[in-house]
Amino acid sequence: MADEQTIESILVADCGTVNTNLLLLERVADSYRFVAQAEALTTVGPPWNDVSEGVVHALRDLERITGRKFHSGGRVVIPREGLMGVDAFVVILSAPEPLRVLLAGLVPEMSLESARRAAAAVYASIEAVLCREGGLRSPEETWARTVRDLAPDVVLLVGGVDGGASRPVMELADAIALGASMLDAERRPRLVYAGNAKLRPMVTKLLGEIVTVDVVDNVRPTVDVERLAPTQQLLEQIYVERQLYKLPGVDTLSAWSRLPLLPTATAFGRVVEYLWHREGRQDRGVLGIDVGAASITIAACLQGDLALSVHSQKGSVYGALSWVEEHGLEALQQWLPEEADADQISAVLYNRAFKPWTVPQQLLELWVEQAVVREMLRGAVRAALPTWNGNSADAMPNFDPILISGGSLVHMPRPGQVLLTLLDGLEPTGISTVMLDANRVAPALGAVAGIKPLAAASALDAGTLASLGTVISPVGKARPGETILQMRIVYEDSSALSVEARYGELEIWPLLPGQRATLELKPNRRFDIGLGGPGRGGKVQVVGGLVGLVVDARGRPLVLPEDPESRRHRLQRWVWDVGG
Amino acid sequence: MILPFSIVNPLTRIEVLRQLPQPGKVLVRENDLIESFQLVGEYTPPPQFAIINASRELAIPPKKIARYLDVAVGDTVEEGAVLASRGGVGGRSCRAPFSGTVTGSGRGRLLLEAPSRPVQLSALLPGTVARVLPGEGAIIQAFGAFIQGVWGNGKEVFGVLRVAARNARQSLRAKKLDASLQGAIIVGGAGLDEEALAQAVEVQVGGIIVGGVSPQLMPRLLTVPFPVVVIDGIGKVSMSEVVFKLLRSLEGREAALSGQMPDLRRPAWSRLGNVERPYLAVPMPAQSAASIDRNAPLTLGSRVRALRQPYMGMSGVVVEIPRGLALLETGARRPCVKVQFESETVLVPHANLELLL
Repeated sequence: MADEQTIESILVADCGTVNTNLLLLERVADSYRFVAQAEALTTVGPPWNDVSEGVVHALRDLERITGRKFHSGGRVVIPREGLMGVDAFVVILSAPEPLRVLLAGLVPEMSLESARRAAAAVYASIEAVLCREGGLRSPEETWARTVRDLAPDVVLLVGGVDGGASRPVMELADAIALGASMLDAERRPRLVYAGNAKLRPMVTKLLGEIVTVDVVDNVRPTVDVERLAPTQQLLEQIYVERQLYKLPGVDTLSAWSRLPLLPTATAFGRVVEYLWHREGRQDRGVLGIDVGAASITIAACLQGDLALSVHSQKGSVYGALSWVEEHGLEALQQWLPEEADADQISAVLYNRAFKPWTVPQQLLELWVEQAVVREMLRGAVRAALPTWNGNSADAMPNFDPILISGGSLVHMPRPGQVLLTLLDGLEPTGISTVMLDANRVAPALGAVAGIKPLAAASALDAGTLASLGTVISPVGKARPGETILQMRIVYEDSSALSVEARYGELEIWPLLPGQRATLELKPNRRFDIGLGGPGRGGKVQVVGGLVGLVVDARGRPLVLPEDPESRRHRLQRWVWDVGG
Repeated sequence: MILPFSIVNPLTRIEVLRQLPQPGKVLVRENDLIESFQLVGEYTPPPQFAIINASRELAIPPKKIARYLDVAVGDTVEEGAVLASRGGVGGRSCRAPFSGTVTGSGRGRLLLEAPSRPVQLSALLPGTVARVLPGEGAIIQAFGAFIQGVWGNGKEVFGVLRVAARNARQSLRAKKLDASLQGAIIVGGAGLDEEALAQAVEVQVGGIIVGGVSPQLMPRLLTVPFPVVVIDGIGKVSMSEVVFKLLRSLEGREAALSGQMPDLRRPAWSRLGNVERPYLAVPMPAQSAASIDRNAPLTLGSRVRALRQPYMGMSGVVVEIPRGLALLETGARRPCVKVQFESETVLVPHANLELLL
C-alpha cells in the first residue's frame, strides 16, 4: 500500500454471500468520489471454491468499464502508475460461514441473555444453549452430548455474578470438558469464559488441557451491570481468525491487499458511527440497516454508542425457509397485495434459495420476496431493540437519518417499494431522512475509513448516498380518517402548500431530491412526532428525495386489516401511493 | 460475462467427490479402478456414552462412593450389569444402560462408553480413483454423461435408467410404474403426484428424476427409501427439453443418481466442500472427454436455461445480446439477452439465466 498521504485511488472488494461488489474510489479535485463499480457472483462455493475468482471476474468488468488495468501478473497492481493499478486494495467480507457458537450459562434472562447479545454483534449463529432447566435429571450427559455432537467453533460459558454462584457454573464446565474431550483435537471448540471472575482459575485448570480457553470480563459482573464489549471484541477476533481467514481463496486476496481483512458488518457499523458524529445531534440516533441474502445487520448509534446486531442466517434468502417453518406462510401471505396459495409462495422461496442471484420477473414473485424482507426485518428489529442504549424493549427511538443498504432492499425495482418495505419492516417513529445506499458503498467506506479517513468522509459528504425522502411517522391512536397532522410545506421559492394527514393513510407530497423545504407541523394533541411529546409541533427543515415527503399516518404498531380482501386492497393502495 | 452454470453434457470428464461426513479411513488408492459398490472409505461415529450418577442413585456422598463401586475404570460391562450397589435395608444399585467400557469416574459419577459401528461409503460412480484425500475421501473420475439437478432428497443409488414419461411436459403417472421397474432409475418428465410416488414405493423403484415437484410433496419425498432428484425447480415446472432428450438417449444404461445436496437453510457457505448438487452420472466406455470450462463466458450461441418464472426450466440458445437495460413486468430495468426457446424468442435478464455446459 502507498503511504496514506499519497493514496489517491482505492479499490474496495465487498465479498457477500451472493455477489462480490467492486468499487473504485478516486480523488477528483479536492474530494474523493466513487468513479466505477462492477459486480460478479461470489465464488466461495462450488464449482469455484475460491473467493478470489469472483473478484477477478468483477475486476475484468471494471477494467472493461474504465479502460484501465487493475489486475496483472495474477495480482492487483499496487501502487497506481498511470492507467495501471490502484494505491490501495481493501477487502471486506460477509461471505464466510458465521461462527457456530454454543452458549452455556445459568439464568436465561440474565447472563445468558447478555451472552446472546454479545454474540449478536458478530457473524455468529447460536447452535444451542446449555442451561439447567427445571426437571432435567441428568443434564451433564445432555450437555456433553450437545457439545460433542454439534462440535461448535466456540463455547461461550457465562454465569454467576462476580463472587456469586460457583457450583452450577463448574457443572457446566465439567460437561463441556467431557463433551469436548470426545472430539478429535482439531474439531474441539474454543472456550470463551465470561462468567463469575472468581472461577477463572478453576475453569482454566479444568478445561485448559482439553481446549483453548480465553478468559474475558464477566458479561454480568453484577445483577444490574452488563459488560459486553470484551466478549464482543474477542468473538470478532475469533471470527476473523477462524472463519474469515479460512475462506477458500481469501489468502490470495489478503496477499494482494496487504491490509487486514474486515467483516462487512464492522465496516458498516463504522459508517453509521461516522454519520452520527457528522449529524452531531445528541437527541437523535442514526440507524443503519443492511439486508442481505444470508444476514441482516442493524447498526444503531445513540448518544455516540454503537450497537451492532448481526442476524446471521436470517437474511432474506437463506433465512426464509427456516423462518417459514417456524412462523408459517400466513405471515408472508398477509403482505401480498394479490392472492397466492401456499404452494406458489413456497415455490418462490425454494427456487430463490437454489439460485439466490436471480431476480423476480413476475409481480407475484416480487411481492413474495418483499414480504420476506418485511418479516425478516421485523424479526431483526425486535431482537435488536433491547440492545439499543437505554431503550426499553417496546419503544422505537427516533432515528435520523436511517441508512438502507444490502442487495435485498436496494435492488427492488422502484424507490417507493424500498421505502414502503422499510416502513413496514421497521415502523420508525418521529421524523427521519431515509438514505439509500444504492451502490452499496456504505460498508466499503467504513473499510476505507481504516486507511484513509479523509477519503471516506469526503466521499460520504459528496452525496454518495441517495435520499429517498423525509418520513414523518406520528405515534398515537385515532379513528381511521381522523386528521392527525396539519402541515404547511414552505418550499425554497417561498411557495407553500398546506396539507393534512389522516389516520390510517400513507400520504406523499412532492419534494424532489436535493430540494429543501421548511415544514410547519401541528400534530393532533394525542400524536407525537418526535418534537417533544404528544401534540408538540414546530418548524423543521427537511430535504427531498426519490420518493418525496412522506407522512406515515398508519399508526404504531402498524395493524393490517384482518379481512384478506380489504387487506389486499389496502396494500395495493399503499404500493400505488409510493409510486407502484 | 461469467454466468453460473449447470452441467447437462452427453460426454464429459466426470469428477465426483466422495467425502466421509467425518474424518475416517480411506480404503482406495490413486489410479484404482473401482466399481459402484466398492468401498471408498469408512468412519466410526463418536461412541455412545452415558454418565451414571452413582452417588445420586445410591444416595451416597461423592467422597464415600468409592467403596460402593462394583466396577473400575477400564472394566467392560454388559447391559444391565451392576455398576455400584449398597446393601442393607433399602439397598440400591445402579446398572449399565448398555454394554460398554467404564472410561472414567469422579465426583460420584461413572462414564460408560460403547464404540459405534463403522459407517461405510461406497464409490457410487464406477471409474478411476483420481485423487485420494487422506482421512476424508476420494475423487472418482469417469467419462460419460452428466446432468446436474437443483434439489434432491439426500439418497443415492446406482441402477438402470428407464424413461416413463412420453415427453418433458408430462408428469409421471402411477399406471406407468410396474414391477419391471424395480431397482430402475425412472425419468418422470415434468413432475409426480402422491399417487405416483406411492406406486413407486410399492414397486421399489431405484430412484426418480423429474423436472419439478410441488412444495407440498417435498416432506414426503424425504421419507421415501430411494433418491428423488429435481432437475429444474420447485413448483409446476416442465423438465428442460434438452435434459429430457439427453435422458431418453441414455435409456437402458446404468447410472449413478445422487440426491445429496447442501441444506438450503444453511446458506451458500455450507455448499463448500463435499456436497455440491444432486446429479445423474452415466459412465461410458470412453477413455477421454473434454472438461467443463467453469469460466466459460456468455456469448451468442450459448446454450442457456431460464431460472425464474415465467420461463423457468426452459432451455434455449442466446441469439442477441442487446446493450442497455430492458423493462421487466416488475418495473425493474435489467440487462437482458434474447433467448430462442423451442416455441418463442424472448428477452430474459442475465441474472435469470445459467449456461448449460
